[in-house]
Order: sequence, then structure tokens, then C-alpha cells
Amino acid sequence: MTRRWLNRAAWAFLLTLGCAALAAPWLPLEDYRSMHVELRLEAPHWTASPVLGTDAQGRDMLARLLWGARISLFVGLCGTLVAMFVGVPYGAFAGFRGGRWERTMMRLADALESIPMVVFVLFLMSILQEYRSELAAIGCGRLQLFLVAVGLLFWLPTARVARAEALRIRQLPYVLAARASGMRGWPLLRTHILPNMMPAMLVMLLLTLPRVILMEAFLSFLGLGVEPPAVSWGGLASDGLAAMNPLVGSAWLMGLPSGALALTLLALQRIGRSARP
Amino acid sequence: MSKRLLRRLLSLLVSILLVHAAAFMMVRATRGGPFDEERALAPQVQLALEQRFGFDDSLLVQYFHAVSGLFRGDFGPSLRYRDTQVSALLADALPISLALGGGALLLALLLGIPSGLLAASRRHRNAGALAITTSTFLLAIPNFVLAGLLVALFSFQLGWLPPAGFGSVRHLLLPWLCLALPLAAQISLLVHARTTETLNSASVRSAIAQGLSPQLLLRRYILRPSLTPVLAFLGPATAALLTGSLVIEQVFALPGLGTFFVQAALARDYTLALGVTVVYTALLGSCTLCADLLMARMDPRMEALS
Repeated sequence: MTRRWLNRAAWAFLLTLGCAALAAPWLPLEDYRSMHVELRLEAPHWTASPVLGTDAQGRDMLARLLWGARISLFVGLCGTLVAMFVGVPYGAFAGFRGGRWERTMMRLADALESIPMVVFVLFLMSILQEYRSELAAIGCGRLQLFLVAVGLLFWLPTARVARAEALRIRQLPYVLAARASGMRGWPLLRTHILPNMMPAMLVMLLLTLPRVILMEAFLSFLGLGVEPPAVSWGGLASDGLAAMNPLVGSAWLMGLPSGALALTLLALQRIGRSARP
Repeated sequence: MSKRLLRRLLSLLVSILLVHAAAFMMVRATRGGPFDEERALAPQVQLALEQRFGFDDSLLVQYFHAVSGLFRGDFGPSLRYRDTQVSALLADALPISLALGGGALLLALLLGIPSGLLAASRRHRNAGALAITTSTFLLAIPNFVLAGLLVALFSFQLGWLPPAGFGSVRHLLLPWLCLALPLAAQISLLVHARTTETLNSASVRSAIAQGLSPQLLLRRYILRPSLTPVLAFLGPATAALLTGSLVIEQVFALPGLGTFFVQAALARDYTLALGVTVVYTALLGSCTLCADLLMARMDPRMEALS
């Protein structure tokens, strides 16, 4: 009973947040970039403006939170999709093909697992900084780089699950029947195996999403995430951490974005777990 | 067994070499470098610098030098820290990172396993529910936020521990906690899930029916099957520790590998970044290897599988 109620709360929270984030440009908010020197480090007033206070440059925190939600959620969703786009075909092919192909592909995945991918990706991103102008010329900024990086980082678990699913489905009666009636290769994969992998992949998507959002926070903290003036929750929280000192109490600067982040991740986990068969 | 071990060691070596080669090629392929400043250098200076760092040889010769250096543990001079060998920096930073990571792993196991067992026990239902809820929360906040909370509590409010810096064990307590808590949460959830499963298994049920004391039951029938997923988790846990240490070392200003790596990545000190990447690969690879060996010892079925 409580569980169902919690699930509903999680959905409601995510939907509200998603709508607010989508509608942020049209909401009656302060500009999230405009600084007000006279309103620096204003604590949240809750009922009067500024509702959620201002940061060290006097920028409105409510606006920054909502604009940050846009980036964090967008990056999370796109990054997860990138990881799925790489992982699902890889795993599905390995599981469907079987035999030597599967062994080789999975051994490669094992080998990649024993490499510190995060470090490698950071290394890659720092090197790609050299090509910033060329990359910008083909419309590829930090954000797009980040999405590629996430794809590199998170496709492995997805590929594993996809392979297991493909292996399971491959020996179900309807696939055997299709095989017996002469269906092979890509048509079989497309009509019978891939569609039936979807539920498991959807769960995997829900489980990867929080990890991608956390990864974005992590990279933003290190200064390799989205670039200012764009904001994300990770960047906001790390600004909050930087502004923290024992003399000026400014707990809301870190508390608000990390609270929003934690609530979103909890809601996603909740939904992911309830969707698991 | 020894043949398998040999093969694993060989593949570890190969993966280190591959990572090194990939990183090396990426570094050499970049056009810009650490010598690019706002002002163009005089051609003579540029040439002298390139000669000093061996950039004027052919790529193959450079790679050959790099690999032979790798086997001697020599990564060449740092590009940013003047007159300093990368290996010297690594030698200074590695013990700190090892102390940080090792301590955090130990703490995570010490916190995670008992709380997971507690969560699965039927007698302490409330404490178990608390452990699960806490774990779920811990997994939902980034570790730098956790670090901020702990510093605000223990350093600013209570004044018990220093907020940053390095020097004594007291300086390491908070970083240990920050790294260990998310891992402990994950371990606790793993142990909880597997122990619940074990408790419902036929072997445990018949052991209970035979009237075994709870201690004996725990030691003989529950611990071993419940702890195998923890061993399997040790590899990913090491990876998580490496990732976490990048942030935690920054927050607490610890001069470990992570701090050096991030600074090197931001300041384009590629030889240093390359060295740290190789060291990380070796660390993670050997930890994964140890975990696999331990697991084969604990659960002979694993050995049969591979």
C-alpha cells in the first residue's frame, strides 16, 4: 500500500519537475544569469521574492535550479539513450549470434571493464579540449562531448543485460518456430528478438538514468561538465560547496541543488525498482 | 590454477600496454601542447623544448622510448612541474591514494556487511529497514555533497576533525568516510539481497530444523554464500573508489593521484596524466584479478565456469 503510494509520489514529482523544466523559458522567473550585486547570498525567503534565495553573485536560485534541471535531465536522458544505442545492438548481436562471436565480444567487454574508464574518458575529454574550435565548427560543444563520453562509460552494463536477454529469448518456442520455418539473421532479430527485449531494456534505461545524472554532477564538479553560464545541478552543488565556509552560513546554496538531485534520483530508483519484473 | 593465473597476468599486462599505447597516441596526435601560451615562443626556444622532451624524434622512436620507460617505471619529465620526473610525483602520491582507498574499502566492508546481514535478519526488522533506507539515500547524493555535509557537521559545527589538508590520520578520517559510505550502502544492499535468498534456501531451512544454534548457522551456512556477491563487487568497487577519489582528494586537498590527475588533465600536463592513467589501470586490473582469485577460492563453481 505504502509502496504504491510512493510510486505515485515519485511519478508526480518527476512529471512536475519535467514540466517545470520544459516550461522554464516561459515561466515568470528572473534571468538565471543576471547578477545583482546588492542581493548577494540572500537566504531563501520562501514566501517573498527571492523565494529560494540568491547565490554568491546575486543570481536567483529558483531560476538557476529550474534551468539546471533542464540541463541535468536532458543530459541524463540523452546520455542514457547514447549508452543504449551502443549497448543494446552490441549485446543483442552477441547473444543472438552465439558461438565464437559471442565469446570474443564478451571477452572484449570484460577487458574494457578492467580499464578505469572514467579516468580514460577524462583524459580523452581533456585532450579534445585542444580541438575546441574545430569541434565547435561542426556543432560539437562540451555537451555533445559529454554525451559521447557517457556512451563510452555506460554501454557495458547495458550490453551485458542485452546479451542475457537475447540469449533467453533466442530459445523461446516462438523463436524456435520462426527459425524452423526458415527465418534467419536480421529479419529474425528485428521481428522477434529486439521487440521482446524492450521491457528489460526499458528497466535498464531507468537504472542507467540516475547514474548518468550523477556522472554529469561529477564531471561538472571537476570543471569538465557544462560550461558557464549554462548551469546544471552538479555545477550548482559544486558552487555551493565552494561557497561554504564556517563564517557565512550559505547552506541553501548546496542544499537546494543536491536536494533536488537526490529527490530526482530517489524517484527514478523507486520507479526503476517497481518496473523490474 | 597456475596456468590460469599466468594467463590472467598476461592479459593484465596486455591491457596496461594497450591503455598506454592509446593514451600515448592520443597525446602525440594533439596539435596543441602545454608549451602553447598566449604569446608565441621564439622558434629556438620551441626547438630546444621539443628536443628536451624528445618530441622531435619520429613517432615510432618516441613510442619505443615510452614503452621501455614504462617497464623501468619511468614516464619522463612532467611538462608542468619543472625539473620533476613523473615517476617521482607518482611515488609521492601513490602511498597517499593507497592509504585513502585501502582504508575506505576496509571501512566500507566493515560497515556494509554487518548492516546487510542485519537488514536480512528477521529479528531486527526495524534496524534492517533503517539500514536499507539509509543505503538508498546514500546512493542518491553525489559524494562531494556528502563530503560537504560531513565537513559542515564534524569540522564546522563540532570542530572535531580538520576540514582539509594532509598530515595525520585525523586528516584521513573524513575522506575515508566519504568514500566508504556510498560503497558500504551498495555492499549492504547486495548482502541483504543475497542473505534473504540464502535464508529461504532448503539447506538453511533444514539446518534450522536440525536445531543448529544461530551462531553456527551464521558461520557455516549463511556467511559464505552471502559474501560471494561482495567479492564479485570488489572489482567494480575499486573502480568506484578510483572515481570517487578524484573528487574526494580535491575536496579535502589531499596530494594523491586523483588530485594530480585532475590538475594534469586541466593543465595539459600530458606525461603526468598518462602516468596516472597507467598506474590506475594497473591498480584496477590487479584488484580485479585478486577478487577473481578469492572468488574462485570461495566458490569452486566459478573456477569450473572459467
